[in-house]
Amino acid sequence: MSRVNDVGGMEGFPPLVHEVDEPPFHADWEAHVFAMNRALIGRGIYNLDEFRDAVERMPAQQYLAASYYERWFHAISTLLVEKGVLAAAEMSDG
Amino acid sequence: MAERFTSGARVQTSRIDPPHHTRLPRYARGAVGVVIECEGVYPRADDRARGIDSTPEPVYAVQFAARDLFGEGDHTVTIALWQSYLTAVHKETR
Amino acid sequence: MSGDHEHTPGSLAARVRHVEGLLEQRELVDARELEVALEAFLARSSPANGARVVAQAWVDESFRARLLAHANSAIEELGLSMGGGLQQQRLKVVANTESLHNVVVCTLCSCYPIALLGPSPTWYKSEAYRSRVVRDPRAVLSEFGFDLDTDVDVNVWDSSAESRYMVLPRRPSGTGDLDVDALTSLVTRNGLIGVAPL
Repeated sequence: MSRVNDVGGMEGFPPLVHEVDEPPFHADWEAHVFAMNRALIGRGIYNLDEFRDAVERMPAQQYLAASYYERWFHAISTLLVEKGVLAAAEMSDG
Repeated sequence: MAERFTSGARVQTSRIDPPHHTRLPRYARGAVGVVIECEGVYPRADDRARGIDSTPEPVYAVQFAARDLFGEGDHTVTIALWQSYLTAVHKETR
Repeated sequence: MSGDHEHTPGSLAARVRHVEGLLEQRELVDARELEVALEAFLARSSPANGARVVAQAWVDESFRARLLAHANSAIEELGLSMGGGLQQQRLKVVANTESLHNVVVCTLCSCYPIALLGPSPTWYKSEAYRSRVVRDPRAVLSEFGFDLDTDVDVNVWDSSAESRYMVLPRRPSGTGDLDVDALTSLVTRNGLIGVAPL
């Protein structure tokens, strides 16, 4: 399906931004998202292809506005609910 | 599954925009390229993303001229494509 | 809580903690285990690994041949591996020559040989890079300060399946007397991706 992630050859994106000596994660929560994804895939809750599919199914405008690990977290959250691991109602805090 | 294409074979990618996750980039749909090599046999991402069991397929590194992909450019782009994304292109005979 | 603040970093951190907490309650993740695994992963994965592979290929012709033919087994000779990730990935090393320059991208997401290059930089994952490098690689290279001769061809590798590509840059001239360690230090992550000559 032609999805917003499929950007090869597309015009209109901003110039590249180069960050010198960039750390692997810009915030702790990013590292936690990364590790959480590995753990869940490792446990067979979902596979890598299902994960990529979930990232791609993010609404286009939300996808483009989201940072890289924000997209990951959205995909993980989507899959946890779809796979029945967590209920949609428990996903929001408070 | 048997390898259908040998190195040097001319192949054309599918024009189909499937209603699911796939790894044929939009910019390479319907394009003719040359098989560089078989990269191995792997379960299709399209199927794994949907929890469908399928026979693993050969994946090929296929090289395309930028001109054929974008109408301009003097470079080439090599894309890794599952066998079912590809059909053989036969040279016309006199 | 107002939806307006949904995407501020502070609230994201809170949402991530919340979900992590739920998963811990279900015993699906263990916070300590995650920390340890993450540390180990980051420690193991570095562009120094890719650089070491390149340096070895520069000093050892037969290693170079094995690397280009069967990269997964060749790197194991150096104690390196593509394992330790989520699924076994096939490594393909692509050599730059006098007439050909290689650049690597994943237009569909951000696939990349993390074991040999370390975590990917934000620019590699950006729509800007993923959209432009397949269409105008020379312009992208120029943005990196790398102006390729017009008589050098460019091939862009789009990592759309299970192979992960790493560039083998050309050995610079005047390095004949350098040992493997010194040669290793010449190679950068950007050179391994193909947006720099080394």
